[in-house]
Amino acid sequence: MSRGRRGLPGWQGASLVAITYVYFLIFAQFAFLARLAALGLAGAHLKTVMGAMAFGGVLFSLLAPRVSLWPSPNLRLRIGLAVSGAAAFLSLLPLGTAAAIVVSFMIGAGLGVVTVTVATHLRLWAADRNPLLMVGVGTGVGYLICNLPALFTASAFVQALVAGVLCMAGIGITLLSATATVEDAEARPHSDFGFVRVLACFAALVWLDSAAFFIIQNTPALKAGTWVGTVHLVVNGLLHFAAALAAVWLLPRRGLAIVLSAAFVALGAACLLLLHPERAALASCFYPIGVSLYSVALVAYPSLLAPASIVAERGRMAGWIYAIAGWAGSAMGIGMGQNLGYVPPVFVLAAGAVVLLPWLVKFVLHRKREFAMTAAVLLLAFYANRALTKVDAPVQLSQVERGRHVYISEGCIHCHSQYVRPNSADVQMWGPAETIDELRLQHPPLIGNRRQGPDLSQVGGRRSPLWLKAHFYNPPEVSGASIMPSYGFLFQDQRGDDLVAYLASLHGVGTKQHVAGERLWQPSTGAVQSADAALGERLYRRDCATCHAADGRTRLSWQAKFKRLPPDLLVGPYFYLPPLGPDAPRLMRIAQITRFGVPGTDMSGHEYLSDVEIASISQWLSQQIARSLQKQ
Amino acid sequence: MKSNTLDEPASLTNEERAAANAAWHGLFWLVLANAVGVLIALLLIFPALNRQLGEWTYGRWIMVHMNLELYGWTSIPMAGFLFKVYGADREPMARWARTVLWVWSAALGVGVFSWLSGHSSGKLFLDWSGYARVLFSAAMLTLWLYLSISFFKNRSEKCSTASWAGKLAGLLVLLAVPFLIYVAADPGIYPAVNPDTGGPTGASQLESSLVIVAILLMLPYGLTLRKAGSSRIIAVSWLVLVAESLICAALGRADISHLHPLQYVSLGSLLAWLPLMPAYYATFEWHAATRRWRQAFLWWWGALLITGWVFFLPGVLDHFKFTDGLVGHSFVAMAGFTSSLIIFVMVQLLGEGGWIFNRTRSFYAWQFCVIAYILLMTAAGWREGFDPAFTIAPGMARNALYVLRLVAGALMLLASLDWLVDASTLVREPVAVQIDVALEKTA
Repeated sequence: MSRGRRGLPGWQGASLVAITYVYFLIFAQFAFLARLAALGLAGAHLKTVMGAMAFGGVLFSLLAPRVSLWPSPNLRLRIGLAVSGAAAFLSLLPLGTAAAIVVSFMIGAGLGVVTVTVATHLRLWAADRNPLLMVGVGTGVGYLICNLPALFTASAFVQALVAGVLCMAGIGITLLSATATVEDAEARPHSDFGFVRVLACFAALVWLDSAAFFIIQNTPALKAGTWVGTVHLVVNGLLHFAAALAAVWLLPRRGLAIVLSAAFVALGAACLLLLHPERAALASCFYPIGVSLYSVALVAYPSLLAPASIVAERGRMAGWIYAIAGWAGSAMGIGMGQNLGYVPPVFVLAAGAVVLLPWLVKFVLHRKREFAMTAAVLLLAFYANRALTKVDAPVQLSQVERGRHVYISEGCIHCHSQYVRPNSADVQMWGPAETIDELRLQHPPLIGNRRQGPDLSQVGGRRSPLWLKAHFYNPPEVSGASIMPSYGFLFQDQRGDDLVAYLASLHGVGTKQHVAGERLWQPSTGAVQSADAALGERLYRRDCATCHAADGRTRLSWQAKFKRLPPDLLVGPYFYLPPLGPDAPRLMRIAQITRFGVPGTDMSGHEYLSDVEIASISQWLSQQIARSLQKQ
Repeated sequence: MKSNTLDEPASLTNEERAAANAAWHGLFWLVLANAVGVLIALLLIFPALNRQLGEWTYGRWIMVHMNLELYGWTSIPMAGFLFKVYGADREPMARWARTVLWVWSAALGVGVFSWLSGHSSGKLFLDWSGYARVLFSAAMLTLWLYLSISFFKNRSEKCSTASWAGKLAGLLVLLAVPFLIYVAADPGIYPAVNPDTGGPTGASQLESSLVIVAILLMLPYGLTLRKAGSSRIIAVSWLVLVAESLICAALGRADISHLHPLQYVSLGSLLAWLPLMPAYYATFEWHAATRRWRQAFLWWWGALLITGWVFFLPGVLDHFKFTDGLVGHSFVAMAGFTSSLIIFVMVQLLGEGGWIFNRTRSFYAWQFCVIAYILLMTAAGWREGFDPAFTIAPGMARNALYVLRLVAGALMLLASLDWLVDASTLVREPVAVQIDVALEKTA
């Protein structure tokens, strides 16, 4: 067993794991490809060069545990690191195709020797007490370093240089370790996980990982959503590190099957999310978690968990894992990325069958009673529901009724009330109150209990169908301060138009009288005195310009759909304002329109603005209009 | 129960194992609900994140959050309590306890999928619709069936006639629950409305509060024994409950405003429970490990009574209705009172196994974050009551409060995760992989 170490126990093991991962990820998978591209290698030449790397990797992964020429693990590791480092430095030269093939082979061969040697003899360099922790820390730190913005965004030249220097540092670490030819103690793991099954699981996971990596790397829209920006990279790095530590925690407590299953769930989710570029950011959360979970296991299994009775057997297992799962799985994943450009859901399903199915079968057999009972109740409820549905014969719903169902489905009730409290400020803001009898005609009444947004019980009297539709597509574009999410997806079928029809139908008998009352409203004298034209301009830019500026986004998006194209208010015409004359009536009318809109048109109100804000907009706009009218 | 370490599964008695399983299932849903709560808090600060969620937008997640807190976290541990009351945690029935919990959790899982798929009745806390609605009632019936069989299988055990009759009456009441939930989820049925706010009337709030009081008064009988010479306070408590129930019945179920003095005065009668409930609980023998959570639940009970009444008063309710102020108040009820009560019950059921809830870090993280959350939401509601644009068109102040709320929520999630991880050590079976060091022949 390891001996003669001072300071942090096992740091050498963690460092070697980290160095191996950094070299593989930032150089072999990343910088070297960029160097080849810079050298003008493409097509068949590029495939040959990369093929040489895979060949070297597979060959030396399998040979490393069998060659008895250098029995000392330290010496073998030094040689592997020296070859890897030399390849990194050589890649900085202006290589021709033949030289690139040689360097590529060296990278594969060096990595083959390093990975298998580190995994086989990890206990020489890791601590006695918790070698698994060292594997996790090494893996987490490795990924964290790769995601450091300074390194991730550095040139291929710098990345190759760093990889080479790290290999030299690795050699230094092995020199600090005491000379040993064999370990005098070894882990005797207890695992019910067969080797072939483990190999298949790792191959499936590496395949998924490599395909996802290649696709992200080569799809600008996906790359922009996952690996661009300092914050994003740091978050990715931290997620990697946290997931690596989670794997360390889970492995001894819940076993390899759970870790690999969790890794599959995360990676599979990432692959499926990558099918939609707009969800790339979410995929970027799952991807590092999945990768780090299985990456820890990829080192921990051959080094600590594999059911090997002798070290040589452990080495052979490591060799097969890195040759088959590592190199072949990786090549297959990259091939899938190159040829398809996406990971087919059916492949995710197949990978899931490889990783999860044996575990699921075992779990189901272990919990027969629970599964049987649950299935029975599910089935019973299914038939009961079918019988009850038959009793309630389906009825043909109107568009408004369908829209109401959409309102309920989307949980609109959690942000929007439909209840104007009588004799309160609600009435002026949201419209006339309903009676309880009117309310009870609704099944169920959608009163709600929270207003993250406006009350909607009279929204049909305050907003036109076009405004509602435009707002559903892009709320902040239409209403600058809106925090409502986009519901554009509802318009992919009839749900969107149904919902608009429902909302447009929401106005009571008191609407006409209420509108007449709005014409009498004026901002308070205090508000008019406190009005600030600068604030008014700011609010105008936020809430009005989207329709009333020539380049307003809502105006441009929906121009043909408006009942009448909204006028550019800095130019005119001004349909609803008194003609040139004293300022006061114009100010008041602008305030009323700003607050309540113009009934029967697409001009909406801004009921939630304070009197001072309304008066400010009114003041600034009135000044602009006066100037415009004078010019005319 | 034998004390355990992280690497060694605990050896539990059947009773403790049934309770531990109920605790685990409840905590699983609590963690999920809290995680969804954190997501919701994030979405309110960064609405652009909704784009990443496709059709699973904010409104659908709220349904998941609210229903999981109620039907997962609050309900499943109470099933553990019922196991004990009806002897379902003893052989030969104990082996079925986990099965019943699985059925309940499966129904919740289907519910989650149903809400995220946009199926809802449109009624808050009663979003069950379609297949999920039938399945959840079926899951409750499965529990009832299990309790009934256990009860009749244990009838030969020594038990007073009063106790036997009480349990039988309890079974009959429990039988009504699945059907009541099913019917209550019908969109055609709606409770009395306060015409001045659109919320519940004072009478309906009194009614639901008295149901809670009745449960609180019955709970100790299923959990422990009475101290000697403690009958007076018990008798007074039950008499007060009867008197208040009569008041409630007299108030009826009409749509009456909170401005009506009879409404807020009658609701104020609940303040009698401020001194009564702690005195009532002091008349029973409790496991020493419950002390911390028992005190917490009684403090929260007091806070709930006071804030519940104050928030209903004319002027106060008018100011806070539809604002975050009432979100804060619901937090007093759910995260403060109910959660502390549930954990107190769990600790009593688990006995020594109650250590999973008694870590100082998670206890104080939870309690302080709940208090912080309530204060933050009350402050937000206070501002919003004067100016609805405070949340409709959010500015710096609202965002700052919401960021602090997010931090509090995240810490509560961590506390619940801590409990779940510990609960897992109670219920899990021998580990699949162990790494130990032994001598081995070298190559």
